[in-house]
Amino acid sequence: MIEALLQTLLNGAATGGVYALVALGYTLVFSVLGVINFALGALFSLGGYLTYLLMGGAISANGALPGWGLPLPLALPFPLALVLAALLTGLASLVVERVAFSPLRRRNAEPLLYLITSLGAGLALVNLLQMLMGAEGYAFPAGALAGLPAAVVVGGARIRSVQVLLLAVCAAAVLALTLWLEHSRSGRALRAVAEDATTARLLGINSDAMLRLAFLVSGGLAGLGGGLIGVSISLPGPYVGIGYGLKGLAVLVLGGLGSVPGAIAGGLLMGLAEALVPGEASGWRDALAFAILFAVLLLRPNGLLGRRLVEKV
Amino acid sequence: MATTVGALAILGQQADPATKRVAPIGQPDGALTIGAVIALTGNANLYGQDQRQGLDLARRWADALPLAAGDPPRRPLKLQLEDGGSDEATAIAAFNLLIKQGALALIGPTLSQQAFAADPIAQRRGVPVVAPSNTATGIPQIGHFISRVSAQSSVIAPLSIAEALRRDPHVKRVAVIYAQDDAYSTAETLIFQKALKASGLAPVTVQRTQLADNDFQIPITAILQLQPQLVVISVQAVAGGNLIRQLRELGYRGQIVVGNGLNTPNIYPICQRWCDGILIAQAYSPELNTPINRTFLQLFKDSNPGQSPPQITAQAWSAYQVLFEAVQRLQRRGGFDGLTLGQARAALMDELLAGRYDTPLGPIHFQQDGELVQGSFYVAEVRMDPGGRTGRFALVRTDTVTAPTAPAVSPAPSPSAR
Repeated sequence: MIEALLQTLLNGAATGGVYALVALGYTLVFSVLGVINFALGALFSLGGYLTYLLMGGAISANGALPGWGLPLPLALPFPLALVLAALLTGLASLVVERVAFSPLRRRNAEPLLYLITSLGAGLALVNLLQMLMGAEGYAFPAGALAGLPAAVVVGGARIRSVQVLLLAVCAAAVLALTLWLEHSRSGRALRAVAEDATTARLLGINSDAMLRLAFLVSGGLAGLGGGLIGVSISLPGPYVGIGYGLKGLAVLVLGGLGSVPGAIAGGLLMGLAEALVPGEASGWRDALAFAILFAVLLLRPNGLLGRRLVEKV
Repeated sequence: MATTVGALAILGQQADPATKRVAPIGQPDGALTIGAVIALTGNANLYGQDQRQGLDLARRWADALPLAAGDPPRRPLKLQLEDGGSDEATAIAAFNLLIKQGALALIGPTLSQQAFAADPIAQRRGVPVVAPSNTATGIPQIGHFISRVSAQSSVIAPLSIAEALRRDPHVKRVAVIYAQDDAYSTAETLIFQKALKASGLAPVTVQRTQLADNDFQIPITAILQLQPQLVVISVQAVAGGNLIRQLRELGYRGQIVVGNGLNTPNIYPICQRWCDGILIAQAYSPELNTPINRTFLQLFKDSNPGQSPPQITAQAWSAYQVLFEAVQRLQRRGGFDGLTLGQARAALMDELLAGRYDTPLGPIHFQQDGELVQGSFYVAEVRMDPGGRTGRFALVRTDTVTAPTAPAVSPAPSPSAR
């Protein structure tokens, strides 16, 4: 009984870790720009596909270049492919910023317009992926996690090794992000811009550069999530990231808009809530997750750890 | 006002291709179009790929068939593929497009859930439909113009349960898992559970998943606590591949029976070595030794060296073949002369239902309601190659059915099947 509960909790924590990564991606951009980057789900998909390709995976029959893949000597082991794919996804996120956000920002456009342009950029990216890679599912090359057993026993609970890896990488990424934001010069500058962009600019901080940094890190986190989900459950298609993007959005609201600890807590809460729904009632899983979101927002309208917004008049 | 309405009616009639006369052979527009709506995108795309190959091979085979001396010229056919996606709306849009463009007949859509939405449109417009992969109860009963070359689940699915119980007669603990928001999965699991009940077995657990799920550790955890000896799965291909892989990774070593959703070699790269040993009932065997199947096998292997064709490819070939043969029979009798496209569609449907066909599936024909009558079904076991990236469906059992595959009744369309 205890083993089963532990197994369920570990599963929930691993899933929640990925939700937290995506929610943190949203949080970084929201903090500095006050808008949500709806292209993040598509960047999640991109990260998954890039990881696959960097590991030497080949494009399938329905892709633009059937059978093409990196020559085997250039194929990277999974950890390196994951990191490089996250970096490349971060760079793609910069392109999204340049295409979908920068022109509007220069014109001081309404926040609602960012929603449309980022959604458009995301859809374009997903369709581009479909054109290049085909719509079929991709499983990561056999031996992606060579050396790891298929499953490990933790406190009597049997859990897939890849889930442990997923949990560990998510925890490490969240820790690294927190340390960077708290203790590095650039992290503190980013927080200053998030707090008050005008004052930060007066203090000599290049807010445009900080914004680009937020997009870079945000895309990197989404790409990391995509690579981890890809190795865990394969890539069912270019739309794989959309579902995670939506969950990340819910987690963002649950944790509190713009709150880094809130995104982490929200992600874990959402993952655990889903895991605790019995299989017989799995049809209610999403409903339960969103019921929790609803209940939290009723009790705490600014989310679990969100700050109360005071409008000055 | 009356003049306006009359003018609009005339315009509308002129826009409807069903009112136009079929051009004689030899004229530039003498070729008739067979439209195919298959899932090239979305979560059913794995089936669509196999179907596209089957249709393409059948078209090449038909185009290359030599004319016997004295035979009248053949009616040329064009095959027009449209992506039906994996949802109802895309399939409906593709059906509408092809009908509006003047398709003589349609093949598809890939999923039964789509068929329940799109087939009524073809039925209303009088366009013959041959379903290559819909296995749900009630598909041909949607209407006179709807038929299928895919035997329904209720005939095939129980065979794999029988094989699993033959291998281990001491099985007492069976777990069932299916996608509850997928019509095919919900229909097939009922058939599986009925087959289990008929063998005196009640599932120790019935776990439900969602169509879009790919992480199954939570239901698997619940299943493994009950220590089943047999797990029976009804989900679609990508999810099924992931489910089997996770089931094995988490330590399940018993037998696995899967449904028609996993009847594609495209699952191999997903579940890899963990696919090995799963049992699946099939409507096609590459080992059927008939001239048409040998031809099909040869053409398939020319395009896919070292691989055997999956059931869904053979069914797609058969769908094109029955339409091609029905068209040519009708043509030989001068059946298209002076007909409008609408009349040609109706004549083709009658011809289709009246014919007997020697296909890669074996000899088949149709009941009057469009339901398939097929003689033999098979149970295969997946055997993966040592590398774990590819494998084959190895035949382990053949069942001969002498009765039609379905009673000629018209049940209310139940939401089901692939």
